[in-house]
Amino acid sequence: MKISVNWLKEYIPVNHTVEEMANKISLTGIESGPVKLGEELTNLVVGHITSVVPHPDSDHLKVCQVDVGESEDIQIVCGAPNVAVGQYVIVALHGAQLPGGVKIKRGKLRGQESNGMICGLDEVGVPTQYMPKEFENGIYVFDEPQTPGDAVYDLLGLKDQMIDIDITPNRADTLGMRGAAWEIGATYNEKPTFTKPELAADKVKDMSDVTVDVAEKKLVPDYLLRELKDVTVGKSPLWMQRRLWNQNIRPVNSIIDAANYVMIEYGQPIQTFDLDKLAAQNLTVKFANDGDKLKLADGEKDLTHNDLVIVAGDQILGLAGVQNSIEATVDENTKNVLVEAGVFDGASVRKTAQRHDLRGDASNRFEKGVDNGIVDEALTRVAQLIDQTTTVKEISNVITGNFTKAEPTIIKGSASHINRLMGLDLATDEIVAILDRLGFNVDVNGDALTVTIPTRRWDMEIEADLVEEVNRIYGYENLPNTLPAGMETRGGYDPKRELANKLRDILLGEGMDEVINFSLLSKQEVEDFNIDNSEFTKLLHPMTEDHEYLRNSLIPGLVRNVAYNQARKNDDLKIFEHARVFQRVTGQDRPSEITYLSGAISGNVVTDSWNTTAQPVDFYYVKGIVEELLAFTNADAEFTFVATSEYENMHPGQTAKILANGQVIGLIGKLHPNYQTAHNVKDTFVFELNVDMLFDLNAKSVKAQTAPKYPSISRDLAILVAKNIENGQIVADIFANGGKYLKDVNIFDVYEGKNIKPNHKSLGYHLEFQNPNDTLTDDEVEKAFSLVKDSLAQKFNVEIR
Amino acid sequence: MSLNDTLKNLRANGIDEAKRAERLQELNDLRVNLLGKKGPITKALRGMKDVPAEERPEIGTLANNVKNDIQAAIEEKMTELNQKLVAKKLEEETIDVTLPATKQTQGTKHILNQTIEDIEQFFIGLGYEVASGYEVEEDHYNFERLNIPKDHPARDMQDTFYLSDELLMRTQTSAQEGRDMEAHDFSKGPLKMISPGVVYRRDDDDATHSHQFHQIEGLVVDKNISMADLKGTLDALCRHVFGADREIRFRPSYFPFTEPSVEVDVSCFNCGGEGCRICKYTGWIEVLGAGLTHPNVLTMSGIDPNEYSAMAFGLGPERFAMLKYGINDIRDFYLNDVRFLEQFKGVN
Ligand SMILES: [Zn+2]
Repeated sequence: MKISVNWLKEYIPVNHTVEEMANKISLTGIESGPVKLGEELTNLVVGHITSVVPHPDSDHLKVCQVDVGESEDIQIVCGAPNVAVGQYVIVALHGAQLPGGVKIKRGKLRGQESNGMICGLDEVGVPTQYMPKEFENGIYVFDEPQTPGDAVYDLLGLKDQMIDIDITPNRADTLGMRGAAWEIGATYNEKPTFTKPELAADKVKDMSDVTVDVAEKKLVPDYLLRELKDVTVGKSPLWMQRRLWNQNIRPVNSIIDAANYVMIEYGQPIQTFDLDKLAAQNLTVKFANDGDKLKLADGEKDLTHNDLVIVAGDQILGLAGVQNSIEATVDENTKNVLVEAGVFDGASVRKTAQRHDLRGDASNRFEKGVDNGIVDEALTRVAQLIDQTTTVKEISNVITGNFTKAEPTIIKGSASHINRLMGLDLATDEIVAILDRLGFNVDVNGDALTVTIPTRRWDMEIEADLVEEVNRIYGYENLPNTLPAGMETRGGYDPKRELANKLRDILLGEGMDEVINFSLLSKQEVEDFNIDNSEFTKLLHPMTEDHEYLRNSLIPGLVRNVAYNQARKNDDLKIFEHARVFQRVTGQDRPSEITYLSGAISGNVVTDSWNTTAQPVDFYYVKGIVEELLAFTNADAEFTFVATSEYENMHPGQTAKILANGQVIGLIGKLHPNYQTAHNVKDTFVFELNVDMLFDLNAKSVKAQTAPKYPSISRDLAILVAKNIENGQIVADIFANGGKYLKDVNIFDVYEGKNIKPNHKSLGYHLEFQNPNDTLTDDEVEKAFSLVKDSLAQKFNVEIR
Repeated sequence: MSLNDTLKNLRANGIDEAKRAERLQELNDLRVNLLGKKGPITKALRGMKDVPAEERPEIGTLANNVKNDIQAAIEEKMTELNQKLVAKKLEEETIDVTLPATKQTQGTKHILNQTIEDIEQFFIGLGYEVASGYEVEEDHYNFERLNIPKDHPARDMQDTFYLSDELLMRTQTSAQEGRDMEAHDFSKGPLKMISPGVVYRRDDDDATHSHQFHQIEGLVVDKNISMADLKGTLDALCRHVFGADREIRFRPSYFPFTEPSVEVDVSCFNCGGEGCRICKYTGWIEVLGAGLTHPNVLTMSGIDPNEYSAMAFGLGPERFAMLKYGINDIRDFYLNDVRFLEQFKGVN
């Protein structure tokens, strides 16, 4: 809401610029910005049209003589259809600046001299949708005579200064000028003064044509009406109109304008009805029936049994607190008026307004709450304003549908506790003085404070609210900077995060960049890598098909990154992600969240350069990284790689499960060529490791050993073996038969093809023997080596070469 | 020619030959030829028997000197030739140091994780534990326990991805507060924790919105936690992240789970407070929300608000990183273009 400074001055003295005030209010209460309307406007004056004759060379232009307060009238050519002799109008003189950089210059229009422009409201800065409808297609004409030559700015509010406050939902008390005056007044230590509205006693009659019944008393704590009889609806006075259009409310007539004006003044939405248009005399506030229709100017709304409505018999007058139908709109022919001031449940109003897309000034206020203590007064104020601006014969007493006496809130607190929560040591008097600035009454009893909160601050409930009020008005800038002074604590990560950090550092060291992907995937993506055959977890109301399911693997995200980069010629990629995947057991709603560490490598791992030759990534490069990762887990576990062809989107001949002590903890391998093609990625190898499972493995207990003192003896072994025998099997057998001094087995040659018989391969192994406590003899080694060879020949039918 | 003269001649010739040598081999040959057992000096000394006995010592001395002088000349020349050889080798081995290096690449940590870890390290130093919580959370912890009941208008402010009536993708890392307070044993001292992680909102992705982003929640529960403690802590944080000269200010705000609630601005690190495009000419940049934990939230976690108080704050790593490095589009964090990622090598 925009707080007009001129309006504010009716309640408190204003001694600061609008910029200073906006800044100060932002720091003590509510985020605010300064608004200065029409800063650019110049040379706009009242003109009195003394003569209008048709333009000799135009059908629609007229040549006007206009008194602008100078010794002679000036001539202005005007094309507006509504221009006429005797009108008081807005004249932009030669040199005038209008909004949007428009500059008015004297000149000739079809041969006729024109020394300015007669303006419409929109041409001087009032938005078309907020100006009176009658002037939408023409010049603005003052209702009352004005002094020619006077500046028009104040008359029309064109240069009004305002403070635009952007409230948090708890501070709707400032959605009325009076509440805003309290807030701004507290900031500047000025208490606002208000005049209580009074009605002319001779007009007030105890009468009622209508009866009213509130069916939903809980949702409608207050529902008050007044009838106004024998009214002559006209235009509201200019001072009211200009305040309304500067509040982005279009002036309509003296009744509707008064209602809107009081909403801005008190923050209490007001509705008006043409009493004679009611289909019945019994008003009811109740839930609509499904299928009921709300008639609006631009169509109908289908109501539901959750919508609170006001009905006269069967006639739907409006959605309570949201919007009236056009059934009983007050217009220029209205003779008798019914004015309503009610309070409607915020949640109910919010849902109805949302459901029918009808959020507005009224629903916005009810959603956030209104002051139950001024409903009666606001209703009286409307009647008073209408009486002042319209002819009214009789005003009824308040007709009560429901009324709940608003009681002030009592908050008990203590000065010491408030000080302790602020971290300050204010004297009790100082705290009381601050609360008094807000209009809160305080009873002091030693350290104890009993604070009476007026109903206009319905956000105040507990002592913590007092802490906020005292602290903000005292000034947060006056708070010292301290740190919590309690017992020292040990900070740090949990052990699982420590492990993950260590593993991430290894991958960074391997030259892999870290990525972060979205957790929500498409259906296709969760089907692509459902390695654990877990149930999918779907959002109830996804926004797009791309982000519909919780991810069950990090691989789809990594593949997307590879594709995105390779489409931009970033061909050589080494990336990894550390994040959660979601796996769900059938029958359970909640998925478990499992931390994974996954990587993808594509393209070359060594690039072509002046001194190096390109080396594309292969399985063994990625396996090297994974093995180093596993070594750094410090897990006391046997890790093995077991070939698998069971993953649909992985290469069936270049993929392995990774096992720890026989349990699957991850996978490694090449993406399936078809999957690569479908996703526009070059040859890509991936790995995925379950960090939670790695974390659960027992840690190794490392006992230091001195470096070996005795020399080792080595033997080389060349064998010819069937192609389907895996290196892992051979090595395992060598170790099984190599005796206790066999320390290491390394494969140094793998060859198949020329000179090797079909379906066979030649393998070369380097065996190293060492006795940590003595010098080994050739004899001992030879004995062990023979056993190794014999076993291989027997088990795998190898040929020793 | 007397033996004396012969020796002197041999010396003159030997030194001369050594000086003229061009290769090490010549000098080696010269040494063997002149000074060896079959060399001319040895041979000449065989004539010693013809020399009168009283002259023999003199000749002996001369012969030794001749040998030493020739030896010295050879060695001098050898040193000279060796130095030349080394110089030549060095010249041959000279390389173009401006040629590009053989690549030794370290990976780059994602800038969001660098930002998060920088903040984590700051708080670990102040004795905070890091606890990351669940990404799929119960409505109960994400809303109700934070003083946001079912009909609360604040639920409009954060449209939520629900999995079922009671399960949702957490919309805020504050969801961890209730769980941490429940689990903490206050007899062992205060609860000081930060909870970093991913949160989700039903937002359309654009330059400033993302349906997934990160938050870091901070919570301290103890006797006597105050607004001044909150201000001091966040002041130190902002100086750590944005520079030692920064200041912060509090502005009143509203969150259902804190009372008082504040927005925290940091003085503009770009213009120092003068006003610029980054701070929208105010000199201040909004960086986080904070407050004292609402007594209802403490009570719901079984903590007596009359005995304990708590401060809480929530900040957005995306926002921090965007401000600090001038990143204009939040989507860049999630596209993972390696050229974007690698520019943040070692910034934190
Ligand atoms: Zn700046």
